[in-house]
Amino acid sequence: MTAKSVALASILLGALNLCSSPASAQDARKLAASAPDSAPRTTSSHPNATPSSAASQDDARWRMEGEKRFATNCGRCHQTPHKYPPRVMATAIRHMRVRATITDDDMRYILRYITQ
Amino acid sequence: MLFFRSSSTLLAGLRILLVATALLGAGATRTTAQSEDSQAIKPVPVFTMGTGLISSFEGGTPHLGPLVSPIFLIPIGENWLIESRDTFEADLSPPPGSNNFKGVVEKEVDYLQLDYIANRYATVTVGRFLTPFGIYNERLYPIWIRDLQSDPLILPLGVGPTNASTGAMFRGGFNATSKIEVNYAAYFSAESSANRFESDRAVGERVGIFLPGPRLEVGGSFEHLLQDNRSNAFGFHFAWQPRPLPLDIRGEYARSQNGSGYWIESAYRLNQVPLWRDQMRHVQAVARMQQFYVSTVPTESLLPVNTNMFEFGLNYYFEDNFRFVSSYGRQFAPLGGNENVWTLGLTYRLVFPLGNGEVE
Repeated sequence: MTAKSVALASILLGALNLCSSPASAQDARKLAASAPDSAPRTTSSHPNATPSSAASQDDARWRMEGEKRFATNCGRCHQTPHKYPPRVMATAIRHMRVRATITDDDMRYILRYITQ
Repeated sequence: MLFFRSSSTLLAGLRILLVATALLGAGATRTTAQSEDSQAIKPVPVFTMGTGLISSFEGGTPHLGPLVSPIFLIPIGENWLIESRDTFEADLSPPPGSNNFKGVVEKEVDYLQLDYIANRYATVTVGRFLTPFGIYNERLYPIWIRDLQSDPLILPLGVGPTNASTGAMFRGGFNATSKIEVNYAAYFSAESSANRFESDRAVGERVGIFLPGPRLEVGGSFEHLLQDNRSNAFGFHFAWQPRPLPLDIRGEYARSQNGSGYWIESAYRLNQVPLWRDQMRHVQAVARMQQFYVSTVPTESLLPVNTNMFEFGLNYYFEDNFRFVSSYGRQFAPLGGNENVWTLGLTYRLVFPLGNGEVE
């Protein structure tokens, strides 16, 4: 097999992967509900915990993890910025996803933290 | 495939292509989930700008350096982003026998790129982009980010004549384990002599490992020129923010046919000084040491002689985006090249949404 045909095959393979039927919406929702969300979303183990208190604990965990990842990632290059409106932060985090190669998990934690 | 001119180049190109294909394919299903997740907050186009006025005295000669660097970020759909940064700057100094500052305004297109976030592992970028060699050029270069206003002496090594490349790039960051993150960038750049879009024909890659626990990043970069004498350049970088201290330590080493050298910089925010706390928490002390060694193939963008340089700086943050900067540096070079370098200035960054920034 020539090198050129290997290159062509790899391009076609990549295109097929991208264009192939994506996971169903149900699968997508399962994925969206899985890591990294699963850890912060685990509810309180306290037997008397009400749904609202479990939710607030869940939010607190999200906030703590988001704050930690915000400081860890953003602070690698610049001072911690103040918060801008949510849609501005959504753009900024997409920019940083590319520029600073922030991971998908970090991006979602940080976006949720900075838009709360 | 016209740009592959030799078997080694072809193999290098194929390697990048195969890795990219695997990365693109690996997370195709994840894109859907990611898309659903990001629907909650729709990003808005943003205009942001770094600006500053830096005055310096180099060997007794005063310089004034106004700089404006506008950035446009235009998100499209859920996975696309157009981003551009231009720089307008001048180096104004009085000609011999005159007290009037004169100079020309230089205009550069730093980057103008289209990004497609293919999945959680890979982003595809096409257009003109900052050459991902080391960390300074991509992450620390903007005037409102850099802790010392002078460029590291080795900055031109590996990044090309204008710090930018024109072509295509695959990049991304992902969790290798719960405690290790990997980031990478691999690119091909075409030769361009178009005004303000100059670039070399080259391929290159950078790989970094980030440990979020100790907040330590280490990595390496490689570039192979596909023109002229087809030389190689390589480098290493590290960055560390120890958790107990408001301290940043960073450094880079680079080597090419044009020279070699390193810089190491530490920046300490005086949050923990138990004296005048209200003021001290705004102050940052910076120190940088660097050495540069010339090689057998000198180039205009690098110093012509071996040079050592030490710099010390004090920055005062009025806000996170507005600060006063100052530094003193001493440059040591043979044949009377020793000189003092002083800088004073202000830097500012603004962010302005081009639409409704609030969630509707």
